[in-house]
Amino acid sequence: MRQRKSVEWTRLDNASKIFPATCSNKDTKVFRLACELYNAVDPEMLQEALNITMDYFPFYKSVLRKGVFWYYFQTSDLHPVVERESDPVCAPIYLDDRKNLLFRVSYYHNRINLEIFHALSDGTGALWFMKTLVYHYIRLRHKEAFADQIPEFKPNASISEKMDDSFGRYFEGRDLDILKLMDNPNKAKTARTYRIRGTRLDENKVKVIEGSMSTKEALGLAHEYNATLTVFIAALFIYALHKERPVRTKNDPVVLSVPINLRNFFQSETTRNFFSTMNIGYPFGQESPDFQDVIRGVSEDFRKELTAESLNQRLNQLMSIEKNLLTRIIPLPFKDYSLRLASKIADRGITAAITNIGQILLPEEFKCYIRQFSLCSSARMPHISICSYNDRLAVSFSSPFRETEIQRTFFEFLSENGIDIEITCNL
Amino acid sequence: MQYCSHCQVCIRGNKRNCPLCGNILPEDDGAYDQQEIYPVVPPFYERHLALRIMIFASVVALVVSFVVYALFPSSINWPVFALFGLISMWLSLIIVIKKRHHITKNIMWQVTILSFLSVIWDWGTGWRGWSLDFVVPILFVSAMFVLYVTAKIMKLRARDYITYFLLDGLLGIIPVIFLLFDWIHVLYPSVISVAVSIIFLSAILIFQGENIKAELAKRMHI
Repeated sequence: MRQRKSVEWTRLDNASKIFPATCSNKDTKVFRLACELYNAVDPEMLQEALNITMDYFPFYKSVLRKGVFWYYFQTSDLHPVVERESDPVCAPIYLDDRKNLLFRVSYYHNRINLEIFHALSDGTGALWFMKTLVYHYIRLRHKEAFADQIPEFKPNASISEKMDDSFGRYFEGRDLDILKLMDNPNKAKTARTYRIRGTRLDENKVKVIEGSMSTKEALGLAHEYNATLTVFIAALFIYALHKERPVRTKNDPVVLSVPINLRNFFQSETTRNFFSTMNIGYPFGQESPDFQDVIRGVSEDFRKELTAESLNQRLNQLMSIEKNLLTRIIPLPFKDYSLRLASKIADRGITAAITNIGQILLPEEFKCYIRQFSLCSSARMPHISICSYNDRLAVSFSSPFRETEIQRTFFEFLSENGIDIEITCNL
Repeated sequence: MQYCSHCQVCIRGNKRNCPLCGNILPEDDGAYDQQEIYPVVPPFYERHLALRIMIFASVVALVVSFVVYALFPSSINWPVFALFGLISMWLSLIIVIKKRHHITKNIMWQVTILSFLSVIWDWGTGWRGWSLDFVVPILFVSAMFVLYVTAKIMKLRARDYITYFLLDGLLGIIPVIFLLFDWIHVLYPSVISVAVSIIFLSAILIFQGENIKAELAKRMHI
């Protein structure tokens, strides 16, 4: 008798649940990690490196399926194929009822792109995949250079650790009162948040303007203002948003949504989603619009929000909604509608978003092959993504709008302060 | 590399305008031999033209039929039939298009929608009972064969079709209600439907029982 192979499947983690429900052509919930090399990419070797990488990340073989009550990941035997880049940046990946992988790897001249549907992984998780891919690619491509000794690059976790649902592990979701959740004490005092209006680009494309500069110079400038790089860029973003907005909205607060990598707070090596978000704002109506003051306000906000206690509280709340029997027995289509509505309501309190995945580390010997890394994402509102490699800091500005005033103000401030910037734009 | 003197930034790739301020960049020599950073993506081709033509044709047909009826009245209000006919067609077509990537699901949706539509049409045209007598049981039985043939031809794996087999097997038993409550005049389609469904169900439960259990645990997890 033939042996029956059991179908393996996994639940979506807490943060992933929002993405399949809210992704659309306007906001594909796809993000891109790119690595620009000094030499042209060899597609065959990239394919070989990808095949090796897949063995380390079995979870990336998942496809997303619809159940009656929830979405779920199902393992597949699909093999990812490297392709020459031909689609718009962050083109849709997850499409209803289609059984395809939730990421794609492409190349264009010197650049390797990894595009991922956010339900599969967050920036940090994807970065591990990308680093492994780039490591194997360079190792294969420059065999002769590493003939005596291949630089060491250890997988940083076991396969099962990488597939861990860390939300389920750390947050119990004590049965909190949903009604209590609704009347958030902060809610009453928040004024109407400023929201950017603009002309959408054709075919729902995203405009990605990337400014690449020296990390040292940027850090130096941030330190002049007594701020960390993230705080400095967030404050500059808020400042640029404020400077370019119409007068009648001048008093509305500007709020940025900032994802927090929970691996920094809770021990986890998962390559799946493990992040939360916080809102950082500046009330221009009440405070002075001076850049120094914006930095002070933003830095204060970061300090207040980034505590294990406030994270714990928020995540337990989110978990308790997921674990609530009532939410669990609502059929999927209704869940989708309510999640879409909830995300629209949450968006009303946000002006823009900013992500920093920080410094990317690879073996020293690779410096002469890699020019820079960059990160960008699909955007329903302007979104800044930051990452750095070696002495190259890439600040990518994704926006669904045609206008570039905010981008110009943002980068002009940096260049006026003596930083050399290289601009690339996809459109 | 090109340089925008207004924004004081270098610009990579072969751009005519500065991406930030939009000013024309100076054409300095050697600047254009740079590699493109991003591929030029051609505009998206208008794929839904056929669909638009069909929608337009439907609207025109409806307007014309009502106009003709207004000018040349007859005893039967036939434009209403045209209206409901078009609604039925579009209902079915929308599902075909929406579920086009999932063939087995699509078949089940069609069976359900066509059964409902036939009952509604039958009821709307004076309840002669043809829907329950013939259409519904025949649809259920033929769906079983269509599902089976599709699964074999497309070499689908058990997990992709087994739930729909189960669902259709259960639907096929429904005509037993028609028999019990004496709603029908012609017995044999319903009798065949019930009999075939029971045999079909027992076959999949006996031979694919574990698969069904695993599939249901997966699809129904709460």
